Amino acid sequence: MSDQSGLLAGVAVRLENVTQRFRVIQERPDTLREVFAKVMRHEVNYHNFEAIRNLSLEVPSAQMLGVIGRNGSGKSTLLKIIAGVYRPTAGTVHVEGSLAPLIELGAGFHHELTGRENILLNGLLMGYSREEMKSREESIIEFADIGKFIDAPIKQYSTGMQTRLAFAVATEVDPDILVVDEILAVGDAAFQQKCFSRIEKFRRAGKTILFVSHNMIQVTEHCDRAVLLDKGSIIADGEPAEVVAYYKSLTVPEMAPAH
Amino acid sequence: MLDLITGIYRFRALVWELALKELKLRYKRSVLGFLWALLNPALMMVVLTIVFSTILRFNIPHYAIFLLSVLLPWTFFSQSLSYGVECIVSNGELIKKVAIPKLVFPVAAVVANSINLLLSLIPMALVVLAMGHPFYGTWLYLPVPMSALILFTLGLTCFFAAANVFYRDISHILQVVLSAWFYFTPIIYALDFVPPNMRWLFKLNPIIYVINGFRLAIYYGQLPRWQSIVASFICGLTALLVGFAFFRKYQDEFVYYV
Repeated sequence: MSDQSGLLAGVAVRLENVTQRFRVIQERPDTLREVFAKVMRHEVNYHNFEAIRNLSLEVPSAQMLGVIGRNGSGKSTLLKIIAGVYRPTAGTVHVEGSLAPLIELGAGFHHELTGRENILLNGLLMGYSREEMKSREESIIEFADIGKFIDAPIKQYSTGMQTRLAFAVATEVDPDILVVDEILAVGDAAFQQKCFSRIEKFRRAGKTILFVSHNMIQVTEHCDRAVLLDKGSIIADGEPAEVVAYYKSLTVPEMAPAH
Repeated sequence: MLDLITGIYRFRALVWELALKELKLRYKRSVLGFLWALLNPALMMVVLTIVFSTILRFNIPHYAIFLLSVLLPWTFFSQSLSYGVECIVSNGELIKKVAIPKLVFPVAAVVANSINLLLSLIPMALVVLAMGHPFYGTWLYLPVPMSALILFTLGLTCFFAAANVFYRDISHILQVVLSAWFYFTPIIYALDFVPPNMRWLFKLNPIIYVINGFRLAIYYGQLPRWQSIVASFICGLTALLVGFAFFRKYQDEFVYYV
């Protein structure tokens, strides 16, 4: 799935003047009756909300980019645009190579199916074949450390177990680009350690990682570069330590004691 | 249009898995499990045979076979639609998180019900043998009407699944339409029962061309006239093209409404 031209160009992700506009409808009419009622009264209320505003970003391959910003600054929307979930309102998006998104906990998991069935389903959702997933099943189960729960329905799993399984699947399929959104926040210390050692392995293999976190220590320690988002735009871009310091200087007045 | 088909081809393993998942979940936590796919039509046949051979007597020999030969394809059609209409909405969580061709969901719904249709031919054959009805060689012709039926069903499923994302009334309207459609289609009766001056109206119903082949092949042991075959494929392909075009036009919007 990887594209040679992308490797030559050395750019994994390129966004040019991307804008993502959401139409936020107050009490969106869900039924025809409501539509008729509203149209008759000329009151289909909505306002446009720009989650991402004219944003340009280039991520060279093999870079680990930290994305930070307050809640609602557009971090998750940005990742979803890169992952192809949203088609942006304006601008262009180029992604070179295969991409594994860990956007939210249990994305692509079906709660009635067992862990083993979900490994397959999750892999197929990312476009891998049944054979590829079967050959990786054992090492996924081993990494996720689910034990005999692997043949129980996912709904019986703890949050931590689901995270471990999701992380194991996304990293075991060997994508060119790994997108991690906040997901590591739920694992325990031991598992986080395991995840970061795997992320380090990814970096050494020359993979690109997009990492969203509210944990500034993780961002400073692991990322090569950080961008700070505010109201859908990048307001700082550079060395993680500097960007984090700038972010803290902006938020200190409203922040509780730093952790 | 081609992009839809290549997308489906690339994700064919996913389509298959989603279809199996749907069947698995349908029969999960039942003791007989997958056997229900066979038992369901078999039991329905028993009920129909009793009702129509004792209470409602039509002057049609082996009425159960006359009825079932088109009731099975109709059941496929109506079940695909009633499951399929919700397929985008019910997979909303997935669509919001993973970039996949949305068409996999309606296709998987139709594939799942196609498996059911194929399985239901087994009890159908048993009934034919049990009632001493001739087992015609025209059964071999069944893949032809089946293909037209699948095209037709897939087209409508895509259309309604897409429309239902924007207006959830669609799935309710569809249930009403389907039950009316059932009675206005010659399923429990033959087209000959319809007063001659009204037959033209019934002939506007596209599904009669699509399911007619089933009754001819299973009950009468005949092949349809070529005009009827052509008509069935015209209906099937038209439905598919309209359904795909509509789905394609709105698929990028789904993520904002599910």
